[in-house]
Amino acid sequence: MEPDKNEISEAWEPRIVMFCCNWCSYAGADGAGIGRFQQPASMRIIRVMCSSRVDPVHVFSAFLEGADAVMITGCHLGDCHYINGNEKTLVKFNFMRSMLKELGLEEERLQLNWISASEGEKFAEVVRKVTEQVRQLGPCVLKPEGVA
Amino acid sequence: MSELKVAADIKVGDRLLGWAASEEVRARGASGGLVTAVLASALETGLVERVLILKKVSEFEAYPVFTSDVKEVLESAGSMHSVPVNLARYLKPETCSGKIALPAKPCDARAVVERAKRNALSPEDTYVIGLNCGGTMHPEKVRRMLETVYRLGPEEIAGEEIVKGKLVFFTKDGKEHAVPIDDLEADGLGRRDSCRYCQVKIPTNADLACGNWGVSGDLAGRGTFVEVMTEKGAELLRNAVSAGFAEVMQADEKSISVREKVNKVMLGMSEKRKAEVFSTIENGEERFEYFRKELENCIHCGACKAVCPVCTCGEDSKCTAYSSLADSYKMSLFHMVRFLHLSDSCIGCGQCEDVCPAEIPLTRLYQRFAVPVQKEYRYLPGMSDRTPPFFALKPEDNEDNEGGGCSCR
Repeated sequence: MEPDKNEISEAWEPRIVMFCCNWCSYAGADGAGIGRFQQPASMRIIRVMCSSRVDPVHVFSAFLEGADAVMITGCHLGDCHYINGNEKTLVKFNFMRSMLKELGLEEERLQLNWISASEGEKFAEVVRKVTEQVRQLGPCVLKPEGVA
Repeated sequence: MSELKVAADIKVGDRLLGWAASEEVRARGASGGLVTAVLASALETGLVERVLILKKVSEFEAYPVFTSDVKEVLESAGSMHSVPVNLARYLKPETCSGKIALPAKPCDARAVVERAKRNALSPEDTYVIGLNCGGTMHPEKVRRMLETVYRLGPEEIAGEEIVKGKLVFFTKDGKEHAVPIDDLEADGLGRRDSCRYCQVKIPTNADLACGNWGVSGDLAGRGTFVEVMTEKGAELLRNAVSAGFAEVMQADEKSISVREKVNKVMLGMSEKRKAEVFSTIENGEERFEYFRKELENCIHCGACKAVCPVCTCGEDSKCTAYSSLADSYKMSLFHMVRFLHLSDSCIGCGQCEDVCPAEIPLTRLYQRFAVPVQKEYRYLPGMSDRTPPFFALKPEDNEDNEGGGCSCR
């Protein structure tokens, strides 16, 4: 039986895969928890040593396996633990974003944010904002059937 | 007629008219057989160790070979518009040792440059003899065209040429059969899809840029216009002239301007076609549906990657190693990785489309990603030695690079 569309949209919650760099954003996530900043439980955090470790293959796999959006986070430009890793991330990010846009995905489905270790509040704020944006967009076209 | 040029006078930037010195080579090769003569002399005098050429089976069949045999080079003479292979693909570390020369369409020459950037070959040791190209044809389509439109058998054909907007087949009995190319292409026949919107017709990125455009009067059909693009090109030509294989003379103003004009007309046609093919699909969901539908029949044979001349990853690569057909619901990881990879490096040579057993218009799909990205970064792959924008260390590195070495965009 064809499920009712409205029923799905009510049950559906965005799922966002978030790559956090070990030195800044992951500590920022910790900070958000310690500081008890409220945030929706939409993120699935994957810790990487540097945001530039995130390969396009990781991003595409996340989408193909049902992520509604992917967010890459790292240290602020100039603060990279590995000198310039995040600048390389930025180059790759621009490419991935224009490729996904050309494929027919909305720009907001792939996001990049710089969050430092001390910015727990910003972390929670970003999570809230991105979740709301993706909620407006609805499920991603790349999501396989039968995956919530 | 002006005087013949001596070898020592040939330098970079020269625009010359040339032909093979030997009567036999002139008869066999197209437009005076200059390219054949240059290749043969490079081999004969030891300037290169091997040449990469197409070994002819028939007018519609040929296979690439590396050879050191001058006889084989002379036998390969003649253009092969119906065998659209990209020779650059065969230049890889396993097969590339010593100095190599090859004839190259603009897309072959662009592929050589891109492969050099990815360390698949050494640019100093590769001599690229560029050939003007107004488009190539798929052998299967040519056969269909000959049967249904020209009413000729493939065995009767002696050659073909595009003359004044008409595709002309020359038969062995010396007759010409001409049909306007626009009529053919309206029916999906004629040149390959990617050739119709190709952006580079004169291989200014090669060492020598040869072709019959601009050759007129007495020399029409018996001479080749050649522009010396690099020092390596000058070396090739000096070598051929001093060894007595070829004769060259200064091209006159008229030849130069006619060549420019032909190029302009061809590029204009491509530009028009490009605008037609790549009209934007506005709605995002429709766009995704378009790609999903086109890729529906993909059987994951990997042939598109195996022939891709700008891919130098080899057997194990990200696009194949992590992609599984069983996990591909809406789209496969293979295609997504390829779309991204080719967005800055696709030269639009059309090889992927030629070999696809499911007849997916892959070049069009790849170009859909490549056109906006290459425009944004003002980068035309294969036209200069500029680092591909994806490999830039920081975004600013991509900003101050103008033109990508090409004036055609």
